[in-house]
Amino acid sequence: MRRSRSFLGMLLAVALTVALGACTRPETDEPRGRELNIGAATEPAGLDMITTTGAGTPFVLLYNVYETLVKLDNEGNIRPLLASEWSQTPDRLSYTFSLDPAAKFASGAPVDADAVVKSFERARGETAAESIRLKWAPVDTIEAVDQRTVRLNLSRPSNGLLYDLTGPTGSISDPTATADLNTTPAGSGPYKFVTWEQGSRVELEANAGYWGTPARFSPVNFRYFADPNAMNTAMLSGQLDMISNLTVPQSIGQFSDAEKYTIHEGTTDGEVVLGFNHANEALSDVRVRQAISHAIDRQALVDSVWGGKGMLIGSMVPPTDPWFEDLSGVYPYDPDKARELLAEAGYASGLTLRLRVPNLPYGPTSGRFIAAQLKDVGITAEVEELEWARWLDQVYGQHDYDMTVVAHVEPRDLGAFAAEGNYWGYRNDAFNTLLTEADTGTEADQTEKLKEAARMLTDDAAAVWLFLLPSITIATPAIAGVQDNQISLSFDLTTLAARS
Amino acid sequence: MKRGTLNLGLTLIGIVVVLAAVGLVWTPFDPTKITGSPLQPPGWPHVLGTDGLGADVLSRLMSGAKICLLVGIVSVAGAAVVGVPIGIFSGMTRGWISDLPARLSDILYGFPALLLAILLAAAVGGSTWTAMIAISVATIPAFVRLARAATYQVMSHGYIEAARVSGIPKVAIAVRHVLPNIAPVLGVQASVSFGIAILAEAGLSYLGLGSGPEAPTWGRMLREAQDYLFNAPILALWPGLAIAVATMGFNLLGDGLRDLFDPRLREMS
Repeated sequence: MRRSRSFLGMLLAVALTVALGACTRPETDEPRGRELNIGAATEPAGLDMITTTGAGTPFVLLYNVYETLVKLDNEGNIRPLLASEWSQTPDRLSYTFSLDPAAKFASGAPVDADAVVKSFERARGETAAESIRLKWAPVDTIEAVDQRTVRLNLSRPSNGLLYDLTGPTGSISDPTATADLNTTPAGSGPYKFVTWEQGSRVELEANAGYWGTPARFSPVNFRYFADPNAMNTAMLSGQLDMISNLTVPQSIGQFSDAEKYTIHEGTTDGEVVLGFNHANEALSDVRVRQAISHAIDRQALVDSVWGGKGMLIGSMVPPTDPWFEDLSGVYPYDPDKARELLAEAGYASGLTLRLRVPNLPYGPTSGRFIAAQLKDVGITAEVEELEWARWLDQVYGQHDYDMTVVAHVEPRDLGAFAAEGNYWGYRNDAFNTLLTEADTGTEADQTEKLKEAARMLTDDAAAVWLFLLPSITIATPAIAGVQDNQISLSFDLTTLAARS
Repeated sequence: MKRGTLNLGLTLIGIVVVLAAVGLVWTPFDPTKITGSPLQPPGWPHVLGTDGLGADVLSRLMSGAKICLLVGIVSVAGAAVVGVPIGIFSGMTRGWISDLPARLSDILYGFPALLLAILLAAAVGGSTWTAMIAISVATIPAFVRLARAATYQVMSHGYIEAARVSGIPKVAIAVRHVLPNIAPVLGVQASVSFGIAILAEAGLSYLGLGSGPEAPTWGRMLREAQDYLFNAPILALWPGLAIAVATMGFNLLGDGLRDLFDPRLREMS
């Protein structure tokens, strides 16, 4: 009894403190943004976009904390950011960027040509991740022409370079920062990094001295959930303002109340690929690969595995790229045709293949679905589920598999099939030549050649493109400006605003 | 009263065994194929409905019963084959050579079965075999400890003394005199371990560390149902119920057997 009374007293004290605190909070003229909590699935592996790979880092930092000379908008167009304008010489061997004179870092230091050159040299230097460093291959020298002008001199024309500069490859960091960028990011964006509680959240706050349109939210928390159902529950209970991407589209019905939630559906760059190991004898035969392509009802797969969301694609190109062509009808679902092709290839009596899938949301279920459909045409697929790190090691690293399913989320990743030692073991010299010609030719050449290259992959049945991951963002109606598509690597906070 | 426990246990196990036995030769549909539209409610021809992909739930449940019993039998038998001889040997000898296996199994006992299985699955990859081996290894200490304690008790009896004096070799004593006398307690332990093994297998499959995605284990069915918890909650009911029935069945059987074999309880009734 006495204990409960003292407990009551304590409660009262707490309540009073809170109430008094609210009364005495000083009134400020500065309009404070409201708090924003965003649910996300992939946590950063580190905070330095140049040295760490993985989609989690740019998702939080790109365009929010770090800026680039040019940025990618929601439709896939290249827009000015730190560079107010840019030009290219007619021989396409030199780019000149004029920096916005107002641009400055969160520390107050100006974003000048020296800062840009230092950042770029770092991005193509020894410490940079290989995937970043490779993107700088066409660039010969980087020079500061004057305080506001930067010039890139290329050793060969490159259509991909300007696009690459919109990503982590072209991010500009503050040269006056002394702390380790992997723990304390320092950029010029509308938000500043506050803290990263590993396994839980990353907090950003508004950069009060931002040189452009000020941030509309502060603080912003990216909260990480390993279990998608837990993220849904957090949204339903009001702990989140947004779900950045719903990874269990089957559960979309939980957010059907239009008064409480808005649903934004669009596309991403994530091609879900049924990959073949071309070193496997049966799979090195194009007829077997085509047979498998015909044996899978991809629309039914999307319907049951991904809640009917996600577009059918026929090659490694999403619809937001200029060289997209709808190739989804090249291999219609036709089990008879599949059996015919298998018989032609000499596998009329059956074929056994190992299907090793990662334990990601789409992995085990699509594995089960594919195995069920391949059974109909006489292929036994032994499905095995691998923990992500194991998948990376055994399938991606050691090529120990026959078939696998994984989403390739990098933008413009057609070149993955041309990379030396790619995990599919795919090698096609004609395809590689097309890619080189596309990068060095004119812009019209680029579109033509890449279209041709994408079609070549499809005709060769280099893989089965199951579907394109959809972008499904859930937000409360109080948030405006939510983008439908997710095609840059950034979860761009600058388009968001609070509805009053 | 105690017969009631035994009979209830046997009935529940009977359901699972029948489900598995029928499933061995016949299921309404192929459990690994897609045979209907997804998420159909219970009805006809899909008696328990279809899952998220459109496979028949009853067929999968029957197929799962098979795997569940297989894992139970193999892992408990494996643990008994290794653990019982060690326990009897340890119980029949004295000194450090007797204590060593007991202490080692105490250490092994300290690792929860699930943790051990996760370690193993991480090292060599998840499969039905990994699950069976892991559960088996984790069950060994229970058999060692029990066999050792029971052997100690039996060793003090006159007939063992007599057998020893008449020069019968130790192995023969163990097989002919010790084992038959400790068999009832081992039976109780096996039954209880069986229930634990089924639960562990379900847990491992749920975590994706057991059988592959095409093998319809109950744990995996439960995990798949989780994604549809709001659209089709009944999907989680069937595998959940099956796991509960099987686990409870073997636990009740264990309790019933213990009551049956316990002479003090027998005298009381």
